[in-house]
Amino acid sequence: MKLRELKLRNFRNYSDVEVQFSPSINVLLGNNAQGKTNMLEAIYVLALTRSHRTNNNRDLINWENENAQVYGEVEKELGTTKLEIDLGKKGKRAKVNQLEQAKLSSYVGELNVILFAPEDLSIVKGAPTVRRRFMDMEFGQMSSRYLYNNSQYRKILKQRNNYLKQLQLKEASDKLYLDVLSDQLAAYGAKLIFQRLELLKKLQGWAANIHAEISQGKEELKFKYVCALKKKQQTNENDIYTGLKELFEENKDKEIRQGNTLYGPHRDDLQFIINGKDVSTFGSQGQQRTSALSVKLAEIDLMKEETNEYPILLLDDVLSELDDNRQTHLLKSIQDKVQTFLTTTSLSGIARDLISDPKVFNISSGQVVEE
Amino acid sequence: MQYPEPIAKLIDSFMRLPGIGHKTAIRLAYFVVDMNKDDVAKFSSALKETKDKLMYCSICGNLTDEDPCVICRDKTRDQSTVLVVEQPRDIMVMEKMKDYHGLYHVLNGVLSPIEGKGPEDLNIKSLIKRLQSDEAIKEIIIATNATPEGEATAMYLSRLVKPAGIKVTRLAHGLSVGSDIEYADEMTLSRAVSGRTEM
Repeated sequence: MKLRELKLRNFRNYSDVEVQFSPSINVLLGNNAQGKTNMLEAIYVLALTRSHRTNNNRDLINWENENAQVYGEVEKELGTTKLEIDLGKKGKRAKVNQLEQAKLSSYVGELNVILFAPEDLSIVKGAPTVRRRFMDMEFGQMSSRYLYNNSQYRKILKQRNNYLKQLQLKEASDKLYLDVLSDQLAAYGAKLIFQRLELLKKLQGWAANIHAEISQGKEELKFKYVCALKKKQQTNENDIYTGLKELFEENKDKEIRQGNTLYGPHRDDLQFIINGKDVSTFGSQGQQRTSALSVKLAEIDLMKEETNEYPILLLDDVLSELDDNRQTHLLKSIQDKVQTFLTTTSLSGIARDLISDPKVFNISSGQVVEE
Repeated sequence: MQYPEPIAKLIDSFMRLPGIGHKTAIRLAYFVVDMNKDDVAKFSSALKETKDKLMYCSICGNLTDEDPCVICRDKTRDQSTVLVVEQPRDIMVMEKMKDYHGLYHVLNGVLSPIEGKGPEDLNIKSLIKRLQSDEAIKEIIIATNATPEGEATAMYLSRLVKPAGIKVTRLAHGLSVGSDIEYADEMTLSRAVSGRTEM
């Protein structure tokens, strides 16, 4: 899929802008604080109806204005789709081909994006929350079932934690109700973990190949899903369900003492392993970056497999964070198949040589000029 | 200038109703000023009667003006099934269907620790007592909503009641009648497939 046209009205520092993009590589060039990332953010909002930088819609609307609009035309195998997001004080409306969508879940998926920003390099080394968020965001985009199961899981988790606190403070005493909540949580937890395992297995297939290429065959990248369940309990959804139920049963008293749910997908983690060693503790800076890059690039292929279309790649200032070898790899693997938008303050060195025929846009205080 | 006191009070009262803001309250208050006296009297006594004459049925927990309520007193109804609902207004919906002729029990909410509703805050004790004392009851049908809280409440009830040898059933989930499969969302469809029936 390709984003051919983008119109912004009152979005961040853009008051009224219309841009035609190239189906291959688009370079957004400009000094700091001119609006390069704002344009990537607009594309992200058009795809997912929310921003990766803020949870508050008001931040996206230009000062002194009450409404903002992002409009885009997306070219797919089966024709062109017109997407529109209207942001107002009271909320947002999403339209597909001018028809308003009552449910946001029926909108998400029309345009798939993968965003790669400098903070994504910390996916290997950072806190477990970063990796859980990564799984939830990416898998949610590929599967609406994952999105649904995750939101149900979070709701039940909230109820269960609240009830555990009441038990801890002796405001409640009914253990039968706790068992019911445990079973319910285990049921949705099992669906989530099983889907994560399946998708990670596929993602690993792609990531391992890419990683081997970048490291010239010297390194073998593997994922390990870290959770409290034993390996043999992770074979199918039913076993995971039974496993989680056992965990909840065995640790009932501990959970009540702490007033919190201690096991389940909201506590799990993802480990990156190179040649049998954990990258976050034993890997070099370079290996961590390569792993992060491999995972991001593997996502492109996984998304293609799951949705039948290549996603759009947004690269926010990452070229400067990668060395020549990794830059080459990144640019080579996207060439000719993935439409890419990259922001940078200067286009030089290896990037200039490798990117064939980029469309360059100069961005300066909310104005866009095609080079 | 300030509103004359009676109008100010009226506006303030209207604003206590859900969905009514300041502007609407003002419009309604001035409308009341123009209404004829009899209508206003009827209106105010209707408001007062809801508080004075209504109570909860001591058997099923439904709202009623006589205790026990009409349904519980009706001996021609099927005494062997009890349909458990969240709210009194759910009974009205079920009655409209005209296909169910058994008895009811109103929980008055669902289990939700976040909103401070535990098992002792719902009419669960009275349900258990009813099942113990009334041997005619052979089945309870749980008709809580298809939300996570509704599901949890249904599971909780079934575990309480089943050991006593009473049949516990749950309303079916799936396609709504007269709808196209094409327009059903994936979650509804998946529930419909797993809850399919043999023909």
